[in-house]
Amino acid sequence: MSESKGEATQVDAYDPKAVSPEFQLAVEQFYYREARILDGRRYQTWLGLCDPSIRYIMPSRTNPLVDNDERGNESMLSVERELDGLESEGTPIRNETYAYLMLRVERSFKPNSWAENPPARTRRIVGNVEILDVRDDRLSVTSAFHLHYSRPGSANFMFAGQRQDVLLRSDDGFRILDRMIVMDMADIDLPTLGLFF
Amino acid sequence: MKIAEVVSDDATLIRREAWSSPEIYELEMKGIFRKSWLFLGHESQIPELGDFVQAYMGETPIILSRGPEGRVYANINSCSHRGLPVCRADRGNTTKFVCPYHNWNYDVTGKLVAIPQERHVESRPDKRQLGLKAVPRIDSWNGMIFGSFDPEIVSLDEYLGDQRFYLDAFFGRFPQGVEFYGAPQRWKINANWKLPMENQLGDVNHGPFLHAAVIPPEANREVFELGLSVVTEPGHGATFRLMPEDAPVENVAWGFEGMASLLGGPEIHEYLREIQAKAVERVGPLRARMKGLTYGVFPNLSFLWSNTAFKVSHPRGPGKVEYWSWSVVPADAPDEFKKILRGNHTAFFGPGGILEQEDSEAWVQQFAGASIDFMEDRPFYYGLGLDEEKPHSDMPGLVSVTANEFYARHFFKRWRSALEAVES
Repeated sequence: MSESKGEATQVDAYDPKAVSPEFQLAVEQFYYREARILDGRRYQTWLGLCDPSIRYIMPSRTNPLVDNDERGNESMLSVERELDGLESEGTPIRNETYAYLMLRVERSFKPNSWAENPPARTRRIVGNVEILDVRDDRLSVTSAFHLHYSRPGSANFMFAGQRQDVLLRSDDGFRILDRMIVMDMADIDLPTLGLFF
Repeated sequence: MKIAEVVSDDATLIRREAWSSPEIYELEMKGIFRKSWLFLGHESQIPELGDFVQAYMGETPIILSRGPEGRVYANINSCSHRGLPVCRADRGNTTKFVCPYHNWNYDVTGKLVAIPQERHVESRPDKRQLGLKAVPRIDSWNGMIFGSFDPEIVSLDEYLGDQRFYLDAFFGRFPQGVEFYGAPQRWKINANWKLPMENQLGDVNHGPFLHAAVIPPEANREVFELGLSVVTEPGHGATFRLMPEDAPVENVAWGFEGMASLLGGPEIHEYLREIQAKAVERVGPLRARMKGLTYGVFPNLSFLWSNTAFKVSHPRGPGKVEYWSWSVVPADAPDEFKKILRGNHTAFFGPGGILEQEDSEAWVQQFAGASIDFMEDRPFYYGLGLDEEKPHSDMPGLVSVTANEFYARHFFKRWRSALEAVES
């Protein structure tokens, strides 16, 4: 592979001066509480964790052609190349504002939201919480999740993915200002991607 | 079991095996998917030489590509040597398709150009005989590319027939036609391929009930009071609201119904008004008043006008469907408008759609219902509005209220004849 540039990216070490262990713990606790609220189907409470100007995005994932110029580089396999999100053409799976999330929450508490009646059972484990950047009151945070989903009369499903959040710090905790969810299945063979992730 | 017993003569009763039986599924592959024009893609997806997208005709994987001189090619994605797919990406631009196993390679037209091993042997295979298998017939109408496995099939124009009048009520509105905006959403549902098709062919009357949690009652009233359902010929269908001549422009114009464009700001509203202002000139006074709902083209292409998606229901066995859904936008719209307009489709439909999650649940449960034992004497009832459809003085086809299930009866009459022609 003579033409290989073999470029690898730098990995930043955890810097306790930039992100104190106490701050890291507070962010993790926010995510654990959020997970408990969602698995408890308290979606109205969850909406209270979202900032009214939230962007809530789930890109589609495609199988693009390998770019020959990228051979030998990590960029050849970058996840970003596979995503059809806000800026690219294509069909993101979710591209929502607060109004859409309100509509979904409202729907959830109507008995004729038939896809969730009887309601599905979920349990999610959120981990790999990394605070990537802190600027004023805004934090960029990534986390990973496994979500077990069980709908009556149907099989059980496992969702896996990554969340890329911007959180807003306020006096009474954190609010979600931006959330991008990168799902990890190649083919979508699941009952729905319309859940709160 | 004879097909004649599965669908009653007037198609008001249809046995559940029509959806659940593996034998009937095999007949569908032979009698319908081998014999029809099947949608492959839109010209806007492959504008340049070497552009390609993957597609399916039934279960058969197809590469749709743009060759020299602007010609469109459709080849089956399987190497002539050992059958591996020669294309693994969903879409892209390339000069060749290479089989991973022994690197036989093909140009974008499907011609075999190299067999790396042949220089080590004495006999040279005739490469002209070993290209990718071409789809025997390709044709396009208004940018929509179709293929057929039947060399004897009627022309695409004749196949679409008067359905073109209704499709053009949409396509004709836009000065530069439409664009299929990037890759489609694609996902699998544990349902039979015919139910998503029937849903879009004319079944707008499930809306007020299945979707009552989301669709407001005013929207439903408009469908009841102004909605019409048309069948130009069995298997094709269109539903729309024929708006009053004095209706405000925002109530008629394409695009205003979607939440994304409603919330999209004054510039996009102005753009949508301008399209409607030219509609009379472009598509005539009658079609300018059409506010579309859903369309179907036999056997498995659908068009959702209100949320502007073209969809294909690809069969994957009796109880599985792979559903593809493209966002469709006016080709002349600025990119930021295209991005707003696609949201009318993606927020409400697709695998995460607020509305479509109820549909896919209904389709899954219908397949479960169609698979219950000891129900041979309880066919599904398709009799609503029997013989109430009538010709119309101003538009082609048979016309009725949307609650009349004639669109489905006509579909299943065509389905029955197609299967009878291949049953032993």
